[in-house]
Amino acid sequence: MKRFLSFLFLVFLLPGMARAHVGSPNVFYDGEAGPWPVRVIVRPPEVVPGVAEITVTVKEGSPRRVTVQPVHFQTGLQGAPPADVAEPVPGAPGVYSGQLWLMIQGSYSIRVRIEGAAGEGVLLVPLSAAPTRLKEMQTGMGAVLSVLGLLLFAGAVTLAGAAVRESVLEPGEAPDAGRLRRSRTVAVAVGLFLVLVLAGGRRWWNAVEAAAREDLYRPFTTEASVRPGQGLSLAILDERRHEWSPIIPDHGKLMHLFLVREPGLDAFAHLHPVPVDGGQERFESALPPLPPGRYRLYADVVHESGFPQTMVDTVEVPAGASGGPADPDDSWSAASPQSEVSPLENGGSMTWLKGGSGDLRFQVKEPDGRPAVLEPYMGMTAHAVVTREDGSVFVHLHPVGSFAMASQEAFERELGQPPAMSMNHAGHGTPGLVSIPYEFPRPGRYRVWVQVKSGGRVLTGAFATTVSPAHP
Amino acid sequence: MESIAPAVHPPETLVRSAGLTWTIPAMLVGSTSIAVGLLWDISWHMTIGRDTFWTPAHMAIYLGGVLAGICGGWLALRTTFAGTPEERAAAVRFWGFRAPYGAWVAIWGALAMLTSAPFDDWWHNVYGLDVKILSPPHTVLAAGMIAIQVGTMLLVLAPRNRASEDQETSLGLAFVYAAGIVLLMLTILLSEYGHPNEQHAAIFYKVSCAVYPALLAAVARSSRLRWPATLTAASYMLVVAAMVWILPLFPARPLLGPINNPLDHMAPPAFPLLLVVPALGIDLLMRRRKNGWKSALLLGAAFVALFFVAQWLFAEFLLSPASRNAFFAGDRHWSYGSRLAEWRYQFWNLEADPVKPATFATAFALAVLSSRLGIWWGDWMARVRR
Repeated sequence: MKRFLSFLFLVFLLPGMARAHVGSPNVFYDGEAGPWPVRVIVRPPEVVPGVAEITVTVKEGSPRRVTVQPVHFQTGLQGAPPADVAEPVPGAPGVYSGQLWLMIQGSYSIRVRIEGAAGEGVLLVPLSAAPTRLKEMQTGMGAVLSVLGLLLFAGAVTLAGAAVRESVLEPGEAPDAGRLRRSRTVAVAVGLFLVLVLAGGRRWWNAVEAAAREDLYRPFTTEASVRPGQGLSLAILDERRHEWSPIIPDHGKLMHLFLVREPGLDAFAHLHPVPVDGGQERFESALPPLPPGRYRLYADVVHESGFPQTMVDTVEVPAGASGGPADPDDSWSAASPQSEVSPLENGGSMTWLKGGSGDLRFQVKEPDGRPAVLEPYMGMTAHAVVTREDGSVFVHLHPVGSFAMASQEAFERELGQPPAMSMNHAGHGTPGLVSIPYEFPRPGRYRVWVQVKSGGRVLTGAFATTVSPAHP
Repeated sequence: MESIAPAVHPPETLVRSAGLTWTIPAMLVGSTSIAVGLLWDISWHMTIGRDTFWTPAHMAIYLGGVLAGICGGWLALRTTFAGTPEERAAAVRFWGFRAPYGAWVAIWGALAMLTSAPFDDWWHNVYGLDVKILSPPHTVLAAGMIAIQVGTMLLVLAPRNRASEDQETSLGLAFVYAAGIVLLMLTILLSEYGHPNEQHAAIFYKVSCAVYPALLAAVARSSRLRWPATLTAASYMLVVAAMVWILPLFPARPLLGPINNPLDHMAPPAFPLLLVVPALGIDLLMRRRKNGWKSALLLGAAFVALFFVAQWLFAEFLLSPASRNAFFAGDRHWSYGSRLAEWRYQFWNLEADPVKPATFATAFALAVLSSRLGIWWGDWMARVRR
C-alpha cells in the first residue's frame, strides 16, 4: 500500500500552479457524512475538461453504497449529472473509488453520499477546476507518431505517383517513359504540397498550444510593499478582478496572508490584512516584529463562487518595520525548525509523531509535560502551513483537510445542505493531539509550521523534513 | 512480383474480379458505418456526454476502419501472391505489392485512422477533451475516413469504367452512393460553419461554394448515369435524414454536467443541406459537355444561384415554428450544456459577417475554382481502369 501511495505521489501529484495552494492540487477532507466517519481525497484533473479521481475511505462500518457527483456552482444540484457509484477497491476494505468528468472550469463541489444500515449521509468536498499544466509529449509517443506520420507521408506521395503512372492504364499496359516521368513529377509536387500542409498543421498546433498556455490558471497578480511603521500593503492589480465574484471571509477573515523569510525559511507570520480602499483591491496589515529580509508572500482568499486562490508575491521587510493596527488573530514565529520536537513560546513543546497513518500528527504539551488543552484558533483546532523549500509547494491545511472552509460553506448555502460535521476536534478527542490529513505532493525538503491556541495564546511549532523519492 | 503482366483483355474476368465480389459491398458497408458512427458519436456527445472507447458509436467508426484495412489488405495480399494474371494486370504497384488503386487509398485511410488514435488520446490528455470537431488529430482521423470512402469510390469505379454500358448500373449506383458518403463527411467537417442559425452568414456560403461543387462536378463528370450529382446529394441527404428521424427515437440522458438542457432522448443532427437542388443544375449542365473552364463557369454560377436561394429560404424555414417536428427536427439539436434562450431562433453573425454583393462575387469565384478542380478530378476518375 505504501509503495502504491508512493507511486501515486509520482503519478498524480506532480507540481503545478493551482488554487488555494501552490503545487499541491489534491484536496483532502476528513469529516462525517451523517453517521459515517470518512476521508475523501480528490485528485483534480490538470486539464479541463478532464477527469477527477475520487477516493472515499469509510473509517467505520460497511456502507451499502457510496456515490459521488460533481456539482458546479453555477448550475447547482439541478444541473448536476446523475451520481456515479464509487466502486469498492479490491483488497482495501472501506475504500471506494470513482472518476468524475469536470467539463467546464470553475468552482465545483464533489457531493459524496453514503448509504447503509447506519443510515444515510451526504458531504460536500469543494474543488476548483482549472487547467494548471501542459504536458510535454513523451519520447516514445513522439517516436511512434513520427514513424506513423512518415509512413503516411510516404504512402500519400506513392499514391499520387501511382495515380498518374498506372491507375488510368488499361490492365496489363505498361507505362511509357513520359508517363513514368510525369508520375515522378506529380509525386514530388504532392510531396512539396504535403510539406506545406504539414507546415500549416504545425502553425495550427502551435496556436492551440499558445491558447492552452494562455488559458492556464494564473492567480491574480499583486504588488506588495512595506512602509516602516505603517505595516504591509498588498494591492490586487489583476484586471480579471472585476470579472470574478467578490472575496468572502474564510475563518472570519477576508485574507490569510503568510510570510516566509528567504532563503533560510527561518521566520514565519500568519496575518490577516483588511481592505482599506472601500473595495477589495488594497489590503493592509500590521507587521509583527519580524527579522528583516526578503519574504515570500502567500495570500489565501476565497471568492463568492467558492473558488479559492493563493496569490504569490515577495516583499522586502526592512529593520524596524513593525507597526500598524494588528488583527488579534495575527501570529508569527522566528523559531528554528526542528525535525521532531519544536519548543513553543509558552515553554511547552510540539512533537511531530511520524509514521503510522500517513497524516501529519502532532502532540502539543504544556510546559509541565501534560497534554495541552487546545482552544479554537479562528474556528479550527489547528492551522498548518506546508511549503517546499524552493517555494514550489505551498498549502494551508486544517484537521478537516486542505480545502477552504468558506468554499464548502458557499456550496452548503447554494445547495441548501446542512453544515457538514467535520472532525474539527483534532486528534479525535485525544488531548493535545493534532491530526491533519495530507500527503506531500513530491519528494524534497519541506518546512511545516503548525499553529494551535492554548491558554489564550497562539503557539507555533516549526519543523523541517525531507520527503524521499518513492522507491520502486 | 515486379514484372509487368502481359496485356490481356478478357472483359468477363476483368470487369469484376473474384476479389471484388465481397470487398466492394464490404467497403460500402464500412464507409456507411464510419459516416453513421460519426453522426451517432456527435449525437452521443451532445446528449450523453460521457463516452468510453467502447461506445456503440465508436464501434461503428472502428468497424469502418477495420473493414477498410481487411478489404484493402486482403486485396493486396491476394492480388500480389495469389492473383490471376488478369487480376495482377488490373492492379497498381505499391512498394512491391499489387492491388486495385482504391484498395491502396483505403489502406492509407485505415493507417491514418490508426495514427489518429494515439495522437487524439495524447491531445485530450494535454489540452482536455475537445469541444470542437476540428482539431489536428481529428483532421488526421477525418483524412483517414475520407480516404477510405474515396478508396471505396475508386474501388467501384475501376471495374465500372472497364464495364460495358449494360453491365454498369449496379456499379454506377454504388459509385454515386459512395460519393454521397464522401459528401456527408465533408458536411460534417464543415458543420462548424453550417449550423442552420449560421446559414445567413457569408462564411457559410463561401465555404460551401469552395468545397461542395468539386465533388458534385467530379461525380457528374465521371459517371455515366443520367443524374449522378443529384443521386450523390440525395444519398447524403437520405443517410443524414435517416439519422435525424432515428436517433431521437432512443431515450437517453446526460451523464455529464453542468446540465443546462435536460435532454431525455438522443439529439438529432440538423436537417441536411438541400444540396440536391444545385446538384440537379450541375447534372443538367454537365450533359452538354464543354471544355473545362467553360463548364466550370457555368457550374459555379449554377451552384451559387441554386444553393443560395434554396438554402437561404430553407434556413428560414428551419428556424421557424413550422420545422419543430419529428421530420425536420427544428430546435432539437441542442446539447445538454446549451443554455436555451431566444438565440436559438435567430440567425447568428448577421452583423459580423453579413451576406453582401461581394459575398456573391467571392462565392462565385470559389465555386468556379472548385468546379474546375472537380472537372479535372472527374476527368481522371473517368479514365481510372485499375
